[in-house]
Amino acid sequence: MTAAPVSFADAQQPNDDRPILSVRNLRAHFRTSHFGINRYVKAVDGITFDVKRGEIYGLAGESSSGKTTLIKTVAGAIKPPLEVVGGTVEFAFLPGYRGLHRAPPAEVARIRWRHLSYIMQGSMNVLNPVRRLRRSFADFARPHIAGTEKEFEKAVVDHLARVKLEASVLAAYPHELSGGMRQRVTIALATICRPDFIIADEPTTALDVIVQKDVLGMIRGIQREIGSSVLFVTHDMGVHAHLTDRLGIMYAGRLVEEATTGEVFRTPLHPYTRHLISSLPRIGDDVPRKGLEGAPPNLADPPPGCRFHPRCPLAMEVCSHRVPSMIETAPGHRVACFAVNGDEQP
Amino acid sequence: MLGILRDLLRYNAEFRIGIVLVGFVLLLSMLASFSPYPPQDVYVVPPDVPPSLAYWFGTTSRGQDVFWQLTFAIRNTLLFGCTVALISRVLALVIGLLSGYKGGWIDRVLMSINDTFIVIPLLPILVLFYFVMRDSMSWLMLALIMACLGWAYDARLIRSVAMSLKTREFTQSSVFSGMSTREILVQEHLPYVMPIVFSTTMNNMIWSIGLEVTLAVLGFTDINTPTIGGMIYWANQHTAMVAGVWWWIAFPTVVVIMTFIGLFLLAVSMNEYIDPRSRLSRMGRVIS
Amino acid sequence: MSGYLAYIAKRLAQFALVVFIGINLAYVITHATPIDPVEQSISAVTSFGNTAPGAIEQMRTSLRELYGLEGSAIQQYVVFWKRILRADFGPSMSAFPTPVSTLIARALPWTTGLLVVSTIVTWVLGNWLGGLAGYYQKSRGLKLLGVIAMGLHPIPYYILALLLLIVFGFLWPVLPITGGSAMNLPQAWSWAFVTSVLKHSILPALSLILIGVGSWFLGMRSLVSNVVTEDYVIYAELAGVKSRRILSSYVMRNALVPQVTGLAISLGGIFNGAVITEKVFGYPGVGSLLVDAVYAGDYGLVLGVTTISILGVSIGVLAIDLLYPLLDPRVKVS
Repeated sequence: MTAAPVSFADAQQPNDDRPILSVRNLRAHFRTSHFGINRYVKAVDGITFDVKRGEIYGLAGESSSGKTTLIKTVAGAIKPPLEVVGGTVEFAFLPGYRGLHRAPPAEVARIRWRHLSYIMQGSMNVLNPVRRLRRSFADFARPHIAGTEKEFEKAVVDHLARVKLEASVLAAYPHELSGGMRQRVTIALATICRPDFIIADEPTTALDVIVQKDVLGMIRGIQREIGSSVLFVTHDMGVHAHLTDRLGIMYAGRLVEEATTGEVFRTPLHPYTRHLISSLPRIGDDVPRKGLEGAPPNLADPPPGCRFHPRCPLAMEVCSHRVPSMIETAPGHRVACFAVNGDEQP
Repeated sequence: MLGILRDLLRYNAEFRIGIVLVGFVLLLSMLASFSPYPPQDVYVVPPDVPPSLAYWFGTTSRGQDVFWQLTFAIRNTLLFGCTVALISRVLALVIGLLSGYKGGWIDRVLMSINDTFIVIPLLPILVLFYFVMRDSMSWLMLALIMACLGWAYDARLIRSVAMSLKTREFTQSSVFSGMSTREILVQEHLPYVMPIVFSTTMNNMIWSIGLEVTLAVLGFTDINTPTIGGMIYWANQHTAMVAGVWWWIAFPTVVVIMTFIGLFLLAVSMNEYIDPRSRLSRMGRVIS
Repeated sequence: MSGYLAYIAKRLAQFALVVFIGINLAYVITHATPIDPVEQSISAVTSFGNTAPGAIEQMRTSLRELYGLEGSAIQQYVVFWKRILRADFGPSMSAFPTPVSTLIARALPWTTGLLVVSTIVTWVLGNWLGGLAGYYQKSRGLKLLGVIAMGLHPIPYYILALLLLIVFGFLWPVLPITGGSAMNLPQAWSWAFVTSVLKHSILPALSLILIGVGSWFLGMRSLVSNVVTEDYVIYAELAGVKSRRILSSYVMRNALVPQVTGLAISLGGIFNGAVITEKVFGYPGVGSLLVDAVYAGDYGLVLGVTTISILGVSIGVLAIDLLYPLLDPRVKVS
């Protein structure tokens, strides 16, 4: 597949070794007050990680682990009652600002979609239901692509071919397409401007397995070709195994383990990760799986210290009143656990 | 139930204002029992006296005390609104629940009829009724007629709730346990539908009272029973505005506007409390 | 395409049903009640004078004939429908011998003009302002508008018409308060006539618009505050689409869809408001015609106006229904 002859309003950034995304100690909370009931939810509570150029970084965790809040914060989609209370989110293409929510609107408009794009969860409803698809492409991508209307249209059609969609799709309304087709349109939409960074939020969850495989293949194909980095969020460990280069495990608003995907699956260190990995069914297995006791904590009133300690088989005394920090236990492999790292000195 | 009321009172300004307005109007209507003058009597006090200490709201050109007349008027008007609301709730519930639950051709037929009643302009029909029945149209008769014409909009709302309930698990288990349609509708679905019924009751009252005021002002109702519209009608008959007897029109107008705004605010605040989505969109308030 | 044709067919069928039921209702009310409308007419007409019994008897027979009240119930029903289809409502009692249809034809353009213009203005203005209020939730000016709308919306049309009459009739008489046009102008398409018509329609239109705007405002504001939480709006924001484009193409465009349905539903109520407004301002439309007809005991005219108003409102609803798929493409599929 040849690259479409598209020219952009700005030049590409030179390749360097800086991480494309750098998150340091990010804390984002929900504050709600309604009819006298105040709730303060610490959805993201001190997260630090990097995403390198050209890599697919996976983020795994259960539904209330805070991963969606994390990526919303990274993408700058911060509206009340969500607020960022601390930490920084720095993109290589937007240096000097602590986060998208702190940057001036003109800069944010410049990088949105051109450098940072988003594939949203649930392809059901992400496209404007009363407009034909070509309008969505015009709205999202046209401001960033120089050239005449004809050239733009040709670029869009060529790009759609990459995700195996016909040009006729542009004249359709979203409800006229199947779920899989809509998701492919979304992928095309998110990649047409050749962004440096793509956030993918559960892009395959609503799809059946066969379509899922296709879509994942497309994402990887396009990513390799464009050279974007992808922050891929899903609770489905099988998808992570299939797609991601590195994997971060989240639990209750914190990162508990991070390593290359292969290592996470082969040698999981954190008790929660080990439980996740061991609960994956394997062909030929005949040992019954055991579930973890208890339930994920209520983020409005989380347990003190390590948030996993009430359910942890290795819990020690220190776990209930000190928060373990992420320590590089093996090269490229970080874990936040007192049982693994020992009782560090403060 | 009381907890909800307490929450609404404390945190929702609209509800507070609504309760105050409606409370005041209710108080007025209850005072009617203490009126020294029977409501239908005329020329019991000197006519056309402006508001004063002796006659708080002044007197009319027919020699009636505006204040005491107003208490009867608002009481009858409110009774009228409640009657219509009650009867049309029953109709709306029966049709809405049945239509939503049964589906199929029953639903299609009922909804076609339903939509007919939504579309048809009701005032000409009511005028036609009046034309044909003239003096034998008591307010009870009018209430009955309006109730039989005014259930359509709310029936649709109830029907959509019923349709969503149909697919829920507890409905399926009720069916499997052998409950009849009537039992399911009454025992299982009715509690879910009640919140909508409450808020539509307010709107229905506003609608029916408004229509009654319109008809009465034109003289198309039983004008001897005092109602708000009736007072305005008589005021017009005696050209009160031109004659400068502004208090005859002003006070009933103010009271009916208070009633409407009060009922409307109650409906809006109750709706908001019930609807989870509007609750979420309000969640932007930070703790002070 | 076939989906659209099926849709049109369904709408036409509903239209036919509404008109059928409505007119039958009118029939039932006038023919099936124990009170005889002809007697009502006669008593209304003869109550203020002395009429010889022979003359009354003659009036009775001719009225019964003219209004098709002779013969068995089935015969009456057939005659009734035959006449409706020919738009023949008989002569008007109060303007004898002018046929009712002539009177209605004269009054209809006034009402249609007033209603169409005020409805469009109300709907567009109310929805536009309400949409802005729902999107720019922090704006003080829009919040104030919201409070005003909440105060105006429950007020009945009559009260506002009366208030306007008082203000512009007695306190600040700059606008004409009665009539459709100045009395001394001929009804021709001259500039003077047209401006006179416009001037006379300002107050009636204003009373319809001021109240109507409130309801559309409130409805649209609440719809918009829900639509902004929809995935496709959030997605467009994440894509950096300009705020103005999002407001018009993503938010308003979607929130308007249920408001179109709401417009169809509210046409009946708007007509009710127009009737009373016309009476207050002496505007020569079918509303005034109806009210005066009742006072005069003019059976044919009352029946005629009722029938025409049912028909008119149904046509309005049909027109909106047929335009609806243009706004909401999803309807074609169902």
